[in-house]
Amino acid sequence: MNRFTSFAVALFVALMAVAPLFLNAYYVDVLNSIGLYGLLALSLNLILGEAGLFNMGHAAFYAMGAYTAAILNTRYQIPILWTLPLSALVAGFFALAVARPVVHLRGDYLLIVTIGVSEIVRIALVNDVFGITGGANGIFGISRPELFGFVIRQPQHFYYLIWGFVVLTIFLFLRLKQSRFGRALNYLREDEVAAEGSGVNTDYYKLTVFSLGAAWAGMAGTLFAAKMTIISPESFSFWESVVLFMIVILGGAGNVAGVLLAAFLVIGLPELFREFSSARMLVFGLVMMVMMLVRPQGLLPAKGRQFSFAELNKGSLR
Amino acid sequence: MKKPLLALVAAIGLVTGSIAQAADAIKIGLMAPLTGSWASEGQSMKKIVELLAKQQNAKGGVLGKQIEVVTEDDGGDPRTASLAAQRLTTQGIVAVVGTYGSSVTEATQAIYDEAGIPQIANGSTAIRLTEKGLKHFFRTAPRDDEQGRIAAQMIEKLDFKQVAILHDSTSYAKGLADETNALLKKKGIKVVFFDALTPGERDYNAILTKLKSANPDVVLFTGYYPEAGLLLRQKRAMGWPVPFIGGDATNNPDLVKSAGQEAAEGFYFLSPPVPQDLDTPEAQAFLADYQKQYEEVPASIWAVLSGDGFRAAVAGIEGAKSTNGGKIAEYLHKSLKDYPGLSGPISFDEKGDREGEVYRLYKVNADGKFVMQKL
Amino acid sequence: MEEFLQQLTNGLAVGGIYALIALGYTMVYGVLKLINFAHGDLFTYGAYLGLTLLTSLALTDRLGFFMGVLVLVLMVMGLVAVLGVILERAAYRPLRESPRLSAVVSALGASIFLQNTLMLIYGARFQVYPDNILPVTALDLFGLQVPVMRVLIVLASVVMMVTLYLFIQKTKIGTAIRAAAIDQGAARLMGIDVNRVILLVFLLGPALGGAAGLMVGLYYGQINFTMGWVYGMKAFTAAILGGIGNIPGAMIGGLLLGVVEAMGAAYLSIAWKDAIAFCVLILILIVRPTGLLGERVADKI
Repeated sequence: MNRFTSFAVALFVALMAVAPLFLNAYYVDVLNSIGLYGLLALSLNLILGEAGLFNMGHAAFYAMGAYTAAILNTRYQIPILWTLPLSALVAGFFALAVARPVVHLRGDYLLIVTIGVSEIVRIALVNDVFGITGGANGIFGISRPELFGFVIRQPQHFYYLIWGFVVLTIFLFLRLKQSRFGRALNYLREDEVAAEGSGVNTDYYKLTVFSLGAAWAGMAGTLFAAKMTIISPESFSFWESVVLFMIVILGGAGNVAGVLLAAFLVIGLPELFREFSSARMLVFGLVMMVMMLVRPQGLLPAKGRQFSFAELNKGSLR
Repeated sequence: MKKPLLALVAAIGLVTGSIAQAADAIKIGLMAPLTGSWASEGQSMKKIVELLAKQQNAKGGVLGKQIEVVTEDDGGDPRTASLAAQRLTTQGIVAVVGTYGSSVTEATQAIYDEAGIPQIANGSTAIRLTEKGLKHFFRTAPRDDEQGRIAAQMIEKLDFKQVAILHDSTSYAKGLADETNALLKKKGIKVVFFDALTPGERDYNAILTKLKSANPDVVLFTGYYPEAGLLLRQKRAMGWPVPFIGGDATNNPDLVKSAGQEAAEGFYFLSPPVPQDLDTPEAQAFLADYQKQYEEVPASIWAVLSGDGFRAAVAGIEGAKSTNGGKIAEYLHKSLKDYPGLSGPISFDEKGDREGEVYRLYKVNADGKFVMQKL
Repeated sequence: MEEFLQQLTNGLAVGGIYALIALGYTMVYGVLKLINFAHGDLFTYGAYLGLTLLTSLALTDRLGFFMGVLVLVLMVMGLVAVLGVILERAAYRPLRESPRLSAVVSALGASIFLQNTLMLIYGARFQVYPDNILPVTALDLFGLQVPVMRVLIVLASVVMMVTLYLFIQKTKIGTAIRAAAIDQGAARLMGIDVNRVILLVFLLGPALGGAAGLMVGLYYGQINFTMGWVYGMKAFTAAILGGIGNIPGAMIGGLLLGVVEAMGAAYLSIAWKDAIAFCVLILILIVRPTGLLGERVADKI
């Protein structure tokens, strides 16, 4: 990181930290939305950006997490934030189960399978599968989250919960990217055959990253359920998966900062375009297209790894 | 990367700038689906409320001040709606009218309630919306259980013995289907078919073929008018003469356009009176003005009910002599009795539901007109 | 048995439309390895253009039913083909050397743009084709009552597909398309103008999609600006099912998907119909990872 970028990052973090003090509830809630989608996009970025697995059904895992949290909370009165690990587990294992037989499919075939899985999940939710999802009504009356006896209710409070989670996620995912695991994923993305030839167990890495990304989306789902207090299948439609997909690719697959920036644009722009009233989605579509044409590699393309000799000598690569 | 950032800053300036103006008017919010699947309803809602506000302002506004309508798009989707609601609450509105879909309204209820702003929904009929004990929530639309009761009653009166029920898995249609199903079973009328179609498709022949093999006397379809139109048209092409009954979401002139007159003839549906059948002098006068202004009729009764929501809100502000949300809500609950609305007298019970019977049975005649049935 | 046959014709009519749209996906994919997510919207444009031309030119009154509809089909195909080419120029050509997924996002943006343009022009309410121009009688096919229009729809889509198949297999230009699909570089070295092949593919695919849109409008009457999204998704599924890039595969995939949906609705559950169709798709892909007719591609080493 050079001096300019570290300054920019510091400024951004400082601005974000104090933003709720100056913005009204509406703008804070827009930022909350951006935070949630940012979280989801970061989790999708692991699968799609780092490992290059075409996943256009991420909403399924998001839904798994949200419903797990909602069901545990409304039926068994488990405090909503305590359900985080369970939501992650359910979403992760679900991803593992569905990905196991299909993970070897080539790009576009995997794409349609993930779309299919997310549609099957949505239809199952609508049809009240096992009688626990509440059908099209969804689940309501989810309790507000409590942190050390403090009930989180206002958009301002959710802001710190959500963005705190985003910061944690960024920290962990950046560590992961630098690890042996992250390097294996990138190898997989660039050339699967060569990776396998070099002894990378491709199926193992693909399945692990699928489950990990899904688990993270599941936790984002828990936060979503806690914030909305009501969830219904329409919140997890195919369109949500498409939006997440666009965020990752637009941002520059594999670049954490780019993905966050794209989350700001893709979720924030339609809100700013409210001025255009009925034409706002038209403008949005056009902007999407033009941004992609202007920056074909994404807004902030992922850079290849660069190691200095000093680092090599220190042996930090091991 | 400089240009998008600049645009961002400029756009924020634009938005905040537009909020700042007209400080001493009384603001009433309107939350409507201006885009998305229910855009036609939303556009009508906007036209109706804006016209009413104009007329009220010509009469001197309310409490000696002019009324300003602040409209936000809920996109017919809960997440967009909750943002629209957050946005409205920050703009100093006194009351809010809307919105159409039940789940969309539900996503905004808590936001308005916590902000102490009375909300009057116009198209949301789901039962649970008024069962939460919210003090600031009202609706000018009737409830689904009311409709289910009438539906079962009509099926009994028309002497149908074997009923097929088809819904579309939306929360509204499923609720109505379940309610009617339970009531019919109690009356000893056989329900021979119960399933859901997928809305938004074109071809329902597979479903009609399956329905036909269940051999019902009548089919109750509880979904919306686009699908109802397609079902009727395809039913006719199959040459199957079974009568169809629709719920209130099939009440839309576009139904006949889509089905074609011959296929729509004989279709029954339950609904609050259609705009043209509103016989109150207020409604007659307003519809004439509306047609003069916009050269069309309102999309449906649901859009008209947003006009009633607006009138009730104005009456509430006037009656409470205050712009305090709590006082307006109390006035609407307790003191507003038989206020002349477009769709008939308006009174609210302690839950915020509208009092009085509103449903009528309609039948489509050979000219494609909706004719109220006397039963 | 009668119900089964009836459901089979239901499925074939739906599948014929899927197949026509799927051809557009598969041809573009074959040559460019690009999923044209805006293709479904071109289909919608076919339906809307058809309606406008039909009502403004009164073709069926002037030329009679058969000729009128034929002229209408040709006009719509032509106009949508032009739109397809414009789309390629504006949204895809600049991204040809970029990562594949960038073009996907550009396509999604184009799709949103196209959809909302229609909404602004025609309004958000659905539009309806006049219902007095088509025969509504039912035909007696071996004791089975089938509406005439359904027979016409299936026939028209089969005719178009066979024509396309013969064009691709038997003509020189068709051979060029196939060559470009197999190996663009080699095709270029053989003197094939790949840019013209791409242009051609973006004329043919949208033309067929536009024709499908017109057929949907004529047959079902009701059209709205979002319907391309639903049909597009189904058609894309069909193209994958048959093996994307493979032209007969798209035809078989479309028809099969239509029949699977009808049978799923008839014998399992209507509400779960789409889930059943996707389950079948996933099962087929587990057994045949590149679809029914897709070639087995060896990974490059």
